[in-house]
Amino acid sequence: MKKRKLHFKRQEGLVGYIFILPWIIGFLIFTAGPLLFSLGASFTNYNITSQMDFIGIRNYEKLLMDDQLFWTSLYNTLYYVAFSVPLTTIGAIFLSVLLNQDVPGLRFFRTIYYLPAVLSGVGVYLLWMQLLDPGTGLINMMLGWVGIDGPNWLFDPEWTKPSLILMKLWSVGGGMLLYLASLQGVPKSLYEAAEIDGASTWQQFRYITIPMITPVIFFDVVTSLIGGFQIFQEAYVMTNGGGGPVNSLLFYNYYMWNKAFKVFDMGYAMAMSWVLFLIVFVLTMINLKLAPRWVHYEGEAKK
Amino acid sequence: MFKKGMLFSLIAVMLLLSGCAGFQVGSDKGAALEAGAEGKVVVDFWSFWGSEIRRPVIEKIIEDFNNSQDEIVVKHTFVPWGDIWTKELASIAAGDPPDVVINDIKATALRGQKKQAMNLSQFLEKDDISERFYPELWEATLYEGDSYGVPFNTDTRILYYNKEAFKEVGLDPEKPPTTWAELEEYAAKLDKKNGDTYDRLGFYPLFGINYDVWMLNAAGQNVVDNKGNVEVDTDINRQTLDWLLGWKERYGDNVINSYKSQIDSQQSNPFFTGKLAMFVNTPTFNTQIRDYAPELDFGVAMLPESEPGNGHTSWGGGFVAEIPEGSSHPKEAWEFIKYLTDQDAQEYWAVKNYDNVANIKAAEATAKNAEMSEKDRIVYQMAVENMPNTLLTPTPLQAPDFPTLINPEIDNVMLGKKTPTKALQDAQAAVERLVKENQ
Repeated sequence: MKKRKLHFKRQEGLVGYIFILPWIIGFLIFTAGPLLFSLGASFTNYNITSQMDFIGIRNYEKLLMDDQLFWTSLYNTLYYVAFSVPLTTIGAIFLSVLLNQDVPGLRFFRTIYYLPAVLSGVGVYLLWMQLLDPGTGLINMMLGWVGIDGPNWLFDPEWTKPSLILMKLWSVGGGMLLYLASLQGVPKSLYEAAEIDGASTWQQFRYITIPMITPVIFFDVVTSLIGGFQIFQEAYVMTNGGGGPVNSLLFYNYYMWNKAFKVFDMGYAMAMSWVLFLIVFVLTMINLKLAPRWVHYEGEAKK
Repeated sequence: MFKKGMLFSLIAVMLLLSGCAGFQVGSDKGAALEAGAEGKVVVDFWSFWGSEIRRPVIEKIIEDFNNSQDEIVVKHTFVPWGDIWTKELASIAAGDPPDVVINDIKATALRGQKKQAMNLSQFLEKDDISERFYPELWEATLYEGDSYGVPFNTDTRILYYNKEAFKEVGLDPEKPPTTWAELEEYAAKLDKKNGDTYDRLGFYPLFGINYDVWMLNAAGQNVVDNKGNVEVDTDINRQTLDWLLGWKERYGDNVINSYKSQIDSQQSNPFFTGKLAMFVNTPTFNTQIRDYAPELDFGVAMLPESEPGNGHTSWGGGFVAEIPEGSSHPKEAWEFIKYLTDQDAQEYWAVKNYDNVANIKAAEATAKNAEMSEKDRIVYQMAVENMPNTLLTPTPLQAPDFPTLINPEIDNVMLGKKTPTKALQDAQAAVERLVKENQ
């Protein structure tokens, strides 16, 4: 009897593997394969069509020691991530808390604020290029009404990255939706208990709301951090394929794309992608290590 | 129980195998197409001409070609501008590329060096068609003396000026400025200041073109030549930058920015409304005037020269038709390219699209073509006359991405954060380093 059961378990396992086989094969062929290939090719002078000679760590050496734009592009990307991730997270939380209040026209507001997340891509970038136009753009015009002489936005190297961050803030609706869902899940009883204990609104927010939604904050921070490092389209479209004034919008992935598809130095671009991978990997690891200190899961016993 | 499991895995394996067969469809599909065309060889042609103006023109050319052939049939595939060359590259790497692709003329030699484009000398030995094209264009397709693409269309930069405004301030409308000094003098006369703003701006050199065109205009040569010599830090370039800075100081950032955004928005280009008296752009800008300001009385001229006798050097680019390495029907592809760049097809393209073409005879015939209005012919004639002055900026193999190093330095100059002397020194050093790295 015991033997039979084991046998059955093994069979069940086998069937399980067969069911996920398409996914495993897809992963091996379309993800793991190219990943390993790019790791291998990053040690060569691969140019896609005519050469692939092993050159040791020369790509990495050149990248870290000699490349004149590597650090510029990395700085630009870090700058963008450092500001856009906290700002969009706080913005999304703020918005979702506001839209969680019981006021008339709530559905209308939710739709309005979510709308930018539905619109995306090149159209939005072109729209923002017009909004940010220093002479005729709506933003400087509105700043002018309150007596502020607006900056040159996309033409001033000091303001190009803030322009992009501003644009990103406009579309926090996607994150907002996640927070809104988790806010709805916070038990009303907790607030009632807190109220009886005499907690103020701020205290309720600080000690009940925030801890209860930390799993979603954590998820949002991790994914938008990774997404932030991959910024590419915005810069590509809004600079018409250049790097922006004084290369201030030359982001890491954009520079990598140039090396791969303009100069055809694919080996070098692959080395670049692995350096980025390491950076993101380390940051995500730190994130995961720090998580238990501030992320609270419902029903989890505190050690 | 066990049998059932076996059945499952059998089905799974079969599914898998049938899935794998999908990978081979590529070659089957090609064969099927050929059979469908009654034994003719199918030439797969990729272009990014999908607009409602361009697409019918290229498809008519293809149709004419197909009707003239017994053995070959060309199939046109439209691939959007943003995808076409990365897709081409991927298909070359996969060993199943199209047979003819329209690509950027500037990097033709680079693609030849990387073995992306096919060496065309085997075809050119039999029928040498190089004489058809403007020498500067043909030159740009060469890598180590062999051609890797055939020029299709091109462009140049010319000066547009408002004749009415000229008359108004007492300038001869038939005598556009011919030197930088005259350009400044005329612009000063044409300026119409109104408090802090201008009712009419005479001219600003960085509308429509960039600093690099003026450097080319003054120096008569590229900042990095095809041997890897770097000529950035020169007296001529410094003087050019000083000259450009002079214009910027004269009008001020606010005026320039507000004009620039109007120019960017196309329809409200101040040149159409007479608010800008002179403007540098491509000959095809004429079609915009035709659409948005048909009543405008304007003339065209070559770019002024920096010093009398220095030459009206202008800048151009263009596209080539090339055969990707690994094409399965290069001979048939060549036949199509020959047709595409011959006088008839080129003239048809030029007239219907109002575009500059690489074939000299076709370009000259277009300028006289009765199908076009007189104004169109005048501008086209100027473009044709300007071609001998027009230089291309082919991507130097030793420093293919050098503009990313020079541009920020010049940006700093125009923002007033660096002196021209310092910026050019830094740019020179940076580009030289890049050349050294790539050797």
